[in-house]
Amino acid sequence: MKTLIVIKEQNHAWVRNAFPGIHPLLLTLCNKPYIEYLIDFAILSRSEEIRIMSDGSLGEVEAYCMNGSRWGVELTYSNIRTTDDITTILQKNSRFCRDNRTMVINGFVFVDYDKESQYDSIINTMPDGVIASAENEGCLILRGQERNPDAAPAPSPPINLESIDSIESYYRISLDILKNKSSQFVLPGYGNEPECFIGRNVVISKSAEIEKPVSIGNNVQILSGTHIGPDAIVGSNVIIDKNSTVTESIVLDNTYIGEELDITGKTAFQNMLSDPGTQAVLSMEDPHLLRSTQNNGTLSALLRQITHAITALTIIILLMLPFLLIAPLLMVQGKWKKRLTDYHGAGDKKVISIATGTIPNQGVTGKLASIFSLNRYPLLFRVIKGDLSLIGNLPAAVSDNSSAPDQDNMTHYYRPAVFSYAEAENWPVIGSDAAIVERYYMVHSNPLKDIGMTMKALINLPHKNTPK
Amino acid sequence: MTITETTHSNIHLVALKGALDASTAATLAKNSVLSGNLPTVIDLSGVDFLDSSGLGALVGIARKKRAANSDTLLACLNTNVRKVFEITHAYRLFDIYDDPYTAAEELSKKISAL
Repeated sequence: MKTLIVIKEQNHAWVRNAFPGIHPLLLTLCNKPYIEYLIDFAILSRSEEIRIMSDGSLGEVEAYCMNGSRWGVELTYSNIRTTDDITTILQKNSRFCRDNRTMVINGFVFVDYDKESQYDSIINTMPDGVIASAENEGCLILRGQERNPDAAPAPSPPINLESIDSIESYYRISLDILKNKSSQFVLPGYGNEPECFIGRNVVISKSAEIEKPVSIGNNVQILSGTHIGPDAIVGSNVIIDKNSTVTESIVLDNTYIGEELDITGKTAFQNMLSDPGTQAVLSMEDPHLLRSTQNNGTLSALLRQITHAITALTIIILLMLPFLLIAPLLMVQGKWKKRLTDYHGAGDKKVISIATGTIPNQGVTGKLASIFSLNRYPLLFRVIKGDLSLIGNLPAAVSDNSSAPDQDNMTHYYRPAVFSYAEAENWPVIGSDAAIVERYYMVHSNPLKDIGMTMKALINLPHKNTPK
Repeated sequence: MTITETTHSNIHLVALKGALDASTAATLAKNSVLSGNLPTVIDLSGVDFLDSSGLGALVGIARKKRAANSDTLLACLNTNVRKVFEITHAYRLFDIYDDPYTAAEELSKKISAL
């Protein structure tokens, strides 16, 4: 038994508009990527080999699923042309389908299966042709010689297909899985009671309320006073800020829900809030926060600057001896490579030139320099001068347009610094993950917290630099 | 680069083996079957390396044949070759089969139908 999964770009074009940046096959339904549901169903049908086919790019899907060893099946990938029909696709995969019963899952459809059931009997006894089809688009087709043509079809649950053709159907199917069908599928997360799935590294404040059914992904922070559920799906790398409510809603991965928001019957994805019923989309200019934050004011900014300068001076004094001993050696050995780069400055400082140094983490001197983060040492003087903060964002290079903060971000959420909050929290320092954690601390940190975060960054940086 | 020519269903089957890069792309142009106007199936199962020059050579062959109302089908892309096609979106330019004989039969049927 083999399975061909055929999904063309036209089937899921809406996903590219509704959730830009997410590959449609990796779009999560109740925190489980869509493609995993199809793979699970193919396995329940006793498929030994699965081939995923598309007329678009499959690179991200291949990077995620790889060769299928995670599921104990052989996964291969192939490309088709937009104009290819099912007959042509089967011909193009004749070697794969030869001598085997082949099931074709055609279209961007959700297969409503039950993990407790075995589908091999129905698959092996039914004749060629379409065995199930979705209302709008997509079907399940069987091809090849059935194994037991004379056997009476074994009692088997019906296979229902539902096309995922809009944000409305996506929302409906996702919540239906959570509310009514969570026992039918293998869903990610753990919980000591049904209808409650909680992922890894989830921090839930004592005053937060969780009401099942609920599914929460990995690396989620649920802050004080929040109310999650019932019927809430919260993705991975999400922060739900203070006193917010998420009910009958889906919060997708890498999303920040600001303070005191009430999200009911919506899907939230990064800076887009959609109403699945009306399909109205509210898109915020800010790339992450769903609510604008208040400016901290001039006085607190001054207090922060003074605290940063004093802390920088303390670190300068503490690291002076290692710097004076190791830096000349590194310079003589030619290991300390400096490069002058222009970065966006904060406030009225449009551009600041910083000499960034890189030291290879090799040899005794290199390792010692890495332990003490000596490549950042000269930048500490810029903190006293007021050009940089001690902790904040990694400076955005002027030459790199992709990382350039816009005007609003420049005013409120951008503070070029020696160390970044992402480094302190040991998050990846580039990409949307880092942006989320940096935004969070931009709003919630205070001068005292900044000192603690700087210490964390100093401790975490050597581990980050250690070659694996 | 080793080029092996056979025939199946009156269609030329050209199996390539080795690296298809800047140093070997010129060899393809010299091959009479590939540079000619006859419909051809190119079996890439033996190609262990493909770079932009090799891909350019394949596209050149296909373009030349299409201009002469002929056709080129590709067969048996291994993982390395498929990744190049994936990155460059070259899969949009070719019909790709997983079996060279089926490809030859389909090409033969297509020509007969014309």
